[in-house]
Amino acid sequence: MIVSDVVCPFCGCLCDDLELEVVGDRIVRVKNGCSLAEATFMNDTRLPAPIRRTTTGWEEISYDEAVKETADILKDADRPLLYGWSSTHGESQSVGVHIAERIGAVIDNTSTVCHGPSILAIQEVGHPGCTLGQVKNRADVIIYWGCNPTEAHPRHMSRYTTYATGFFVPDAHMERTVIVVDTRRNDTVNIADEFLQVEPGGDYAVLSALRAIVRGKELVIPQKVAGISKEQLIRVAGICKNAKFGAIFFGLGLTMSRGKYKNVRNAIELTDELNRHTKFVISPMRGHGNVYGSNEVFTWMTGYPFAVDFARGIAFYNPGETTAVDILRRGECDAALIVASDPGANFPRTAAAHLAKIPTVVIDPHVNATTALSRIHIPCTAAGIDAAGTAYRMDGVPIRLKKVIERGYPDDAVILKKIYDRLNGGWDHD
Amino acid sequence: MYQDGDESVRVILETKVRSKPFLPIEAESIIPRNFLKGTDLTVYEGNKERALSELFWIFVEGTAVSPDKVEVVLKGDTSRVKRVGEYMDTGTIWIMGDIGMHCGNFMSGGQIEIGGNADAWLGREMLDGRIICRGNAGHYCGSGYRGEKHGMKGGRIEVMGNAGDFCAEYLTGGEVYIHGSCGDMAGVEMKGGQLVIGGDATRPCGNMKNGTCMIFGTVHRMLPTFKKTGTHLVPDRNVTMDVYTGDVANRGKGSLMIKNTGPD
Amino acid sequence: MTELLVKNACVIDPLNRISMEIMDISIRDGRIVDSVSAAAEVIDTHGCLTLPGGIDSHSHVCGTKVNFGRYMSPEDMRAGRTPRSGKMHVTSGYYVPTTYGNSYRYSRMGYTTVLEGAMAPLEARHTHEEFTATPHQDMLANTLFDGNWAIMEAVRDRDVRRTAAIVAWTLSAVKGYSIKLTNPGGTEAWGWGEDLTSIHDLVPNFNVTPAEIITTMIQANELLHLPHSVHLHCNNLGKPGNYQTTLETFDLVPDNNNARQTLYATHAQFHSYGGTTWRDINSQAEEIARSVNAKPQIVMDMGQIMFGRTMTMTADGPMEFNLYCLHHNKWSNHDVELETGSGIIPVLYSKKSLVNCVMWAIGLELALLTRNPYQCLLATDNPNGAPFVKYPEIIGLLMSKRYRDEEFATLHDGTGQRTVVSSLDREMDWNEIAIMTRAGQAQALGITAQGKGHLGVGAEADIAIYPIRCRDVDPATEYRKVVEGFQKTMYTIKRGRVVARDGDVIVEGANNTFWVNPSVPDEFSVASDPEFVKKFEEYYTVRMSNYPVQDVYLPRGKCIRTEMNL
Repeated sequence: MIVSDVVCPFCGCLCDDLELEVVGDRIVRVKNGCSLAEATFMNDTRLPAPIRRTTTGWEEISYDEAVKETADILKDADRPLLYGWSSTHGESQSVGVHIAERIGAVIDNTSTVCHGPSILAIQEVGHPGCTLGQVKNRADVIIYWGCNPTEAHPRHMSRYTTYATGFFVPDAHMERTVIVVDTRRNDTVNIADEFLQVEPGGDYAVLSALRAIVRGKELVIPQKVAGISKEQLIRVAGICKNAKFGAIFFGLGLTMSRGKYKNVRNAIELTDELNRHTKFVISPMRGHGNVYGSNEVFTWMTGYPFAVDFARGIAFYNPGETTAVDILRRGECDAALIVASDPGANFPRTAAAHLAKIPTVVIDPHVNATTALSRIHIPCTAAGIDAAGTAYRMDGVPIRLKKVIERGYPDDAVILKKIYDRLNGGWDHD
Repeated sequence: MYQDGDESVRVILETKVRSKPFLPIEAESIIPRNFLKGTDLTVYEGNKERALSELFWIFVEGTAVSPDKVEVVLKGDTSRVKRVGEYMDTGTIWIMGDIGMHCGNFMSGGQIEIGGNADAWLGREMLDGRIICRGNAGHYCGSGYRGEKHGMKGGRIEVMGNAGDFCAEYLTGGEVYIHGSCGDMAGVEMKGGQLVIGGDATRPCGNMKNGTCMIFGTVHRMLPTFKKTGTHLVPDRNVTMDVYTGDVANRGKGSLMIKNTGPD
Repeated sequence: MTELLVKNACVIDPLNRISMEIMDISIRDGRIVDSVSAAAEVIDTHGCLTLPGGIDSHSHVCGTKVNFGRYMSPEDMRAGRTPRSGKMHVTSGYYVPTTYGNSYRYSRMGYTTVLEGAMAPLEARHTHEEFTATPHQDMLANTLFDGNWAIMEAVRDRDVRRTAAIVAWTLSAVKGYSIKLTNPGGTEAWGWGEDLTSIHDLVPNFNVTPAEIITTMIQANELLHLPHSVHLHCNNLGKPGNYQTTLETFDLVPDNNNARQTLYATHAQFHSYGGTTWRDINSQAEEIARSVNAKPQIVMDMGQIMFGRTMTMTADGPMEFNLYCLHHNKWSNHDVELETGSGIIPVLYSKKSLVNCVMWAIGLELALLTRNPYQCLLATDNPNGAPFVKYPEIIGLLMSKRYRDEEFATLHDGTGQRTVVSSLDREMDWNEIAIMTRAGQAQALGITAQGKGHLGVGAEADIAIYPIRCRDVDPATEYRKVVEGFQKTMYTIKRGRVVARDGDVIVEGANNTFWVNPSVPDEFSVASDPEFVKKFEEYYTVRMSNYPVQDVYLPRGKCIRTEMNL
């Protein structure tokens, strides 16, 4: 059976033009997808049943037992942490927030190790952006700053930027100028018209210099800024000012290098300054397929996009204090529920290690590095494969993920709802 | 501080041993004014409400009728006690050891003295009063809150040791004086007030709009968008400073003064 | 079968010409009926003011740009936080509350139906998700068409039927309720960082003018028999001298509908400025009101500003950028491919600012100078002018000259020369307020047929009971009581269930979303037009089959079917 217009749930591009060939409960062929999509749909080995750690290994338990024990672990915890959420659909994310609110937990998502700094910057200076189709149809200058779409978002350039044919850009890359800024030559540099090789940690200085040059104050700037010549800076500023429509995309090179959110803020302020001369937009290259969805859901429910602490009954937000990595590093939490993510692989070692010291439950279709640190692992559907639900693309466009096959697993939204009901029922009502 | 016939009271709070010592304690009820009514206050440990006496041994010496005569002393392991002195408007708090995050937030009067180190967000959004930290301060010392346009508006914070990153972010008024060195981006976004750093700083005063920053140690990775306008002699230290204005990227007219280290 | 009897209610129901009559209201299974059995639950209001549930005909509470506003404002979130309590979830936010925050606060004020001011079709799914999380108000979505490429091409080709067919397909695909035009043509120009300055300017690359877009869309709207009229945010919002644009726009509007207006002009205050710069800006509310008084085909809402901090958020991207250039506050922008735009920026309306004082006066003048209260409705373009929790204060100002004078005395002393409000003696009465906050909104939106906005037999039992004995209160002098009374109902009843009591929401909500499915004959349908499909697939970045909002997003959707009139 052929299923068309399938949405790939893997990365923030949420390409929705895939064609899958399905035989029974397996996907056997993927058309139009990149290699990451193929791996997502076809290398999909699942944990068959819920498992619980014993002194000697693991034992299989029923879903009911798993739900009951999870609720018991969370119920009386003094500082429970609910983390992850980025690879599942909004329907699960909302239940997560309800649980956190109910038990006075901290709920956080993978922004914390990825684009959290972008969010902090947006909270200081706003976000002048657009949907990806605006870039495709209008942009003649594309800037990739501190990211490598060739590897991390393989179809970004063909669907949305450099190689995409647009209404006002019918000759695609022939009419476009691509500028890449990075600390080293990566694959994306190969297609760039201008490459700015910036010294590690030097992005902030370069952005400040560009802002001053756009303002007409190039006399203040020294001959070299963070390894980049003043001459190149002036040339690039000129390209930007003379663009009809410029689009900046940025990634971990800005968010995770020294200064973090200040780097992103500076890039946004450069975009603001350029808007006084022409049309310019800036967008974060969100990594996980539905991390932006977790930001959206958390925000409309609690007011904050990540790192939300309900310990005091109201929602409190303070990245650096209420973020999962910091809480784990300080050894503050005494129970954890990890959903649709892999902190065991992505967190700093001291933070991840704490998960092994406390009762940790994982809800995820696949065994991953976090399983090794947990007490219980409950397998569930994979959103976009055997569960339908809402995801938000890196530019905020909401798309419905499809259920393509049935593999007999319960939806994680259903599992979470059962945990919530248990937590709700066993307590005295207000 | 306690003197006979002075009608002042000293409340000593000593931490008890806890079964889960890593849980943070939120103690915004610990401000001098609250102890006029007694010691029957509420604090939080994780998501659980606790009586002050569950977590602290409490000793009271003397009585007072006005809050400015209340002195609170904290002893023991107070490194994870947060929000002490929040919204404090008078009186004194003396923390003998280290103190947790958010000490002295929104303070508008009185004095806090910290014998050890202070965790992040010391004196956040302070309006007036004095904070002295004898050890080191963490990140965001004397800063603002996410998304607000203004940070600390008045008062004085003095740190005898070093401070972390983003010290005095969004400084709008008042004084922050770090005797030691600062981490990354001290004085970023500042728009008023005065920041003085006795030691070194890295990338200070990014996006500065206004205010004054003086650095007596070495500046690492000076930002490219400050314009040198002259020199200035600091009389009581007999030191000559190079004076810069900026941040030019941000239309700033702040004053960044750096100790002159020799011929240019 | 659930029955409820509301006794001794002092009812004002303008659509049924009931004014301050003490009567009983019988409710069964969510509707108002003639009578109920003795088993009915009884609420005795002891003569308190009882109105149909409040209806907000233009409010920004759900969707992409609203959530942007929340997301970028942690400092606002911490300004208004409440914990879980009973059935109420945690809320945060003062001028851009979370969805539960909005829903509980509206419910507390007796509001039971809200029209979301702007929904971009491509992002409709997001709006519907937030609708479900605003559980105590029935929701409707104004659907943006101002920069829609397919529409502009059809308008350029002077093809009204095709325009209507595109509207029909889009509304039914995204489950929208009505046509919204925000700075028509201007949002497309903003795609290049430009704007338009007159309704006769050509939109770059599309060769249509705002005037053409507006008139063609009005024709299309009527061709499709849509329950609401075209809902317009005029060009040149916020610019000194823009009243000319507004009058020119109003002059374009024919009188094409017997049941309701042909144009709904929203937040008219922002479009009533005389003068040429910020220095000589003055009120032209008199001119605007004069035009509306002579044109029964136009209904407007006030767009009142109130002093204090708030957030502006509209599809009018260029306008928001101008505010950024003026005030340098944090600015967000979000253009939506092939459709529209948006901008978000916080503002502070201050009594020290002469411009802000003039704006404050204009909103009130518009209401006081419009003869027929059905033609000038109460709104603040929430949150652009002020958060909706300020509505009771506006009611107080409209009902009491003394209150207006007291406020006026605290304003910038130049205000008097630029405005006329201090010379207006009119004081709205209870009946007029009821029209401006529910009856008029229901009629303008075309939802009286759905049983909204009135308390006659057959109506949905959406009822607000306020702790005001209106026969004993003189609103002209006791305006404090009026304001307090409207801030918190004794009871808010939604579809026959008590949802709020004395300010607390006491049940989980189960709201409806109203949407329109206009059908057009097959030969005009765009879904099967290869040209339309080809352009869609080529220029959008989502597939046409993934674009429509699936049924699952409207758990209790109410579809209104209409037929294209050939």
